[in-house]
Order: sequence, then C-alpha cells, then structure tokens
Amino acid sequence: MPPHTPHTPTQTSTASSSTPGPLARHHFLLRRLHSLSGIMPVGIFVIFHLFTNMQMVFPGKFQHEVAFIHSMPALLFIEIFGLWLPIGFHALLGIGYMMNWVPNTISYSYRDNWRYTMQRITAWIALVFIFAHVATLRWRLNLWGWHTPFYLDAVNHATGEVIARGDDGEPLALAHASTAMALQSSYAVLAFYIIGVYGVVYHWANGLWTAAISWGLTVSVQAQKRWGGVCAVLGISLGLFSAAAIYGAMSYEPTAQEQAAIAQLAGTDEPNIEVDHPEDHETKSPEDAGTGVSSGH
Amino acid sequence: MIKSNKPKTLTFKIKRQDDPKSEPYWQAFDMPYRPSLNIISCLQYIAGHATTTGGKDVAPVVWECSCLEEVCGSCTMVINGRARQSCSALVDEILDETGDTIITLEPMSKFPVVRDLWVDRSRMFENLKKVKGWVPIDGTHKLGEGPQESPEQQDMRYALSRCMTCGCCLEACPQFTIDNEFIGAQAISQARYFNEHETGATLKDERLDALSEVGGVSDCGNAQNCVKVCPKDIPLTESIAATGRQLTVHHIKKFFTGK
Repeated sequence: MPPHTPHTPTQTSTASSSTPGPLARHHFLLRRLHSLSGIMPVGIFVIFHLFTNMQMVFPGKFQHEVAFIHSMPALLFIEIFGLWLPIGFHALLGIGYMMNWVPNTISYSYRDNWRYTMQRITAWIALVFIFAHVATLRWRLNLWGWHTPFYLDAVNHATGEVIARGDDGEPLALAHASTAMALQSSYAVLAFYIIGVYGVVYHWANGLWTAAISWGLTVSVQAQKRWGGVCAVLGISLGLFSAAAIYGAMSYEPTAQEQAAIAQLAGTDEPNIEVDHPEDHETKSPEDAGTGVSSGH
Repeated sequence: MIKSNKPKTLTFKIKRQDDPKSEPYWQAFDMPYRPSLNIISCLQYIAGHATTTGGKDVAPVVWECSCLEEVCGSCTMVINGRARQSCSALVDEILDETGDTIITLEPMSKFPVVRDLWVDRSRMFENLKKVKGWVPIDGTHKLGEGPQESPEQQDMRYALSRCMTCGCCLEACPQFTIDNEFIGAQAISQARYFNEHETGATLKDERLDALSEVGGVSDCGNAQNCVKVCPKDIPLTESIAATGRQLTVHHIKKFFTGK
C-alpha cells in the first residue's frame, strides 16, 4: 500500500460504501446465532425458570430450588455469559431486524400472518418485561416507585448480617414471601407480569417452531404441522407452569416477621437507588417501604 | 353460475399515479355490468370511456397485461386489497364473495409504480440474476445427454417451474418492503428449482452464498403469506425451508473445511 494521507473525505466515503460492514459480512452467521441464542441458552433457561416458579404451589419447594440455584458455583459467570449476554445479543439484533417489516394482517388475515405479527409484538413485550423484571427483582432498582426486590433469605449479603431467623434457627426463608409481596404489591404489577410472562412464553414457543424452518429441520408442510404440535404442547405447559406460579405467589400470605425482614432488607437497597424521584427520598424509611409493598392487597 | 340478482352498474375505485415521482390519487369509474366480466375487460371498458363518476374526462387508466390466461403474471395488481392477476379475477366471483359493487384496484405496493396500475417488477429479474436462476449449458463442448430424473423429482421440480414471476408472494410478504434488500420467496424458490437440477447444481454453492447475504433466506420471517397467495400453488414455504436446510449444511461444511 502506498503511503497516503488519512481522513480525506473521498477516501472515507469510498471505504464505507465499497466494503460491507461486519454486520453485513457475517449476516448469515449472526442470523443463525440470533435464532440459536433464543433457543439455547435463553429458551432453555425460561423452561427451568418457569418450572422453578411453578413450585410455589408446593409449600417449601420453591425456597429449596432457589437456594440450590444460589448455591451453584460461579453463579455470576453463569449469569453474565449464560443469560445477560445471550439475552442482550438476541434483543439487540432482534431490534435491528424488526426495523424492516410492514404488518399486513388487515389485507392478509391468515392465522400464520397473525402468528408472525404476534411474534414481533411479543418481542417488544418481552424486551420491556425482562428488563423491568430483572431491574426490579434482581438489581433491586426502584423504578418510579416500583420497588419489588427479591430476597432468598433474611441475610444482608453485603454485610453478612442475619436480619431474622426462622423457627429452626436458620436465616428466615424469604424466596416465596418476597415473590408474593412483589406480585401482590399492586394490580398493575400483577397485570404486567401476566402480560409479560405469557408474551415471553408465546415468543419462545413460536420462535422454536419457526427456528425449525429456518434451520431446515422441518421442510414439508406435514413436518411443520407435527413440530407445531410439539411447540404448542411446550407453550401450553409453560403457560400452565406460569399460571401455577402466579397462583402460588398470589395465594401466599407473608407473615408479619417476613414482611418486616423484607422491609428492612429493602431499606438497605436504598443507597443504591438512582432511578428514584429525589423528593421520595426524604419520606422513605424501611417502615414506609414495608407498608408500601404490602398495601396493595 | 349466473345468478339473477346481479347489479346494473359496477364502480371501480382506482389508485392512479401519473409518473414514478408524482403522488398517487384515487378516481372512481362506473361501468354497466355484463355477465362473465374479468377485471381486464372492465379496464378495457374504462380505457374506452375515460370519464370519472364525477363526469370529468381524464387520461385512460394504464395497466399491463399480456397472456390473459394467468401464465405471464404481468397483469398482477391489488384487487380489493389482495394481490392477484386481473385476467383471472372474475367479476361474478368477486361480487359473490364481497356482495359489493364497488371494486378497488391498486398497483402492487412493493414495486415502483411506472404509471397507474403498471409497476416496474425488474427487482425480481435482478434477484433471479443474483441467485443464478438458470442451468449453465452454454459452452463449446458437447455436454451429452441430460440427466435422468425420477418421477418424484420431476413432480417436485414441475411444481417449482410453474413460477411466472408475477410478484404476488412478494406483495403479500410483510418482510419484503419496497426499499429493503429481502430477496423474497420467488427467487428463493427458483434457486431451489435450479439447485435440484443435476446440471444446475453445479452453481449450487454460488447460489447458496448469494442467499446467505443481507436480504437472503435468513431474512424470512415465516409469515407464510407467500404460499397462500401464490396463484400457481407453488410450495414456497417448503422451498424456503429446503433452502434453509441446504444453507445449514453448506455453512457447516464451510466452517469445517475452512473455505
């Protein structure tokens, strides 16, 4: 290459127009990775997640499952590389792909066309829902007064301080109680969870069906119908798991001790809250947070 | 079947556009009902009586047609909101379906309008060139006899061969827009047609590389409108899935052979 002066406008413009960008050069690979990431790990995770949640209908089982998940080694590593990065990748590429279509269910109101359109609507639902779900439960953020943190037990894991103990002398189990209080905090939260969870379940079941076409597993109409049955069974099962989970959370009555422990732990989240309105800070004490969480029954 | 309760007058609401750059506008035309009309014969009447329902004399409506027997695809337009050939769109059937004497005609929305109902469908031809939609037999040497095909293979390829490049599948496809790069069901199905031909398959790798680019098979969203609107009953969604399978194999091979 002869030496040249960089940054001349003509050179930059020819360079950008003649060579396709990395997204275009690896278009096929990215599309297939987008499909794959939705199934594995994200979709597989959704199955285990909803199966775990479903156990809220069996007293004590949910706590046991969550404690097992929390006891897994390298949990943060699994979370980052098994969940957050794949979900982020799937979401970012998906947003890009969704900029390029025109809905036409009015002229062509076939069931498949509705199924396709619903896949795109539920993509947006899933995007908003998963972000809000992780932000409020996992990151324990207070989003505009919506503060529904999840706690495994009554231990302040930042300091190691045990806030409350159960009858057995162990730290008080809070997985079921804090999930119940999160869902019972208001009907808006409950509605948001129902729409969000069923949006995710639809997106997963239908995505599994279309992925089989994209990868060329189901070629004939007959094969696509059969695989559609499999995906429908998966979707309905996950829908039933979700219904059981929501019932398990809504029917649970947190004890006064559990409510107090959650309120106290929620109070310790406060210094980290950045999204909150500044005027709310003055009045917010652990007691207020506790009553705020339990007031919407 | 001719029914007795047919109307005296038909009204056509036609979306018109004077040239590729001007804004579209709507005009309505009345014409007397006759039995056994198709949309082409209605358009011929309207061209001969270019007066709107408001009594204004206007330039005759422009449209494109050729074979008049649903094999060339050139008279494809959007009739009552759906893409189909105007030669095989029979007024008596439309009246039975809708019960409405008003029929709307629009140019296809996914191709640039040349004038009125006439669109420029050359994007489909360009896409055929992109996927090398032909059997490479040009040369100076003798190629010998053609390959033998099983009856099953013949049936499958005959179905794909019926494509007349009309554009219905693309007009109905929500993933195919007027200005994006998606290649659409028509070119994908033709790529499969030639990949399945023993001599045509010599270009298979090149076709699959072209179909891996931006706008290739992976941009399909599986709405499956294409197969439902195809006037030739081509199994377009099976073609898309079969090509997806060829691409999966093709890229796994490339990954491990390093080519």
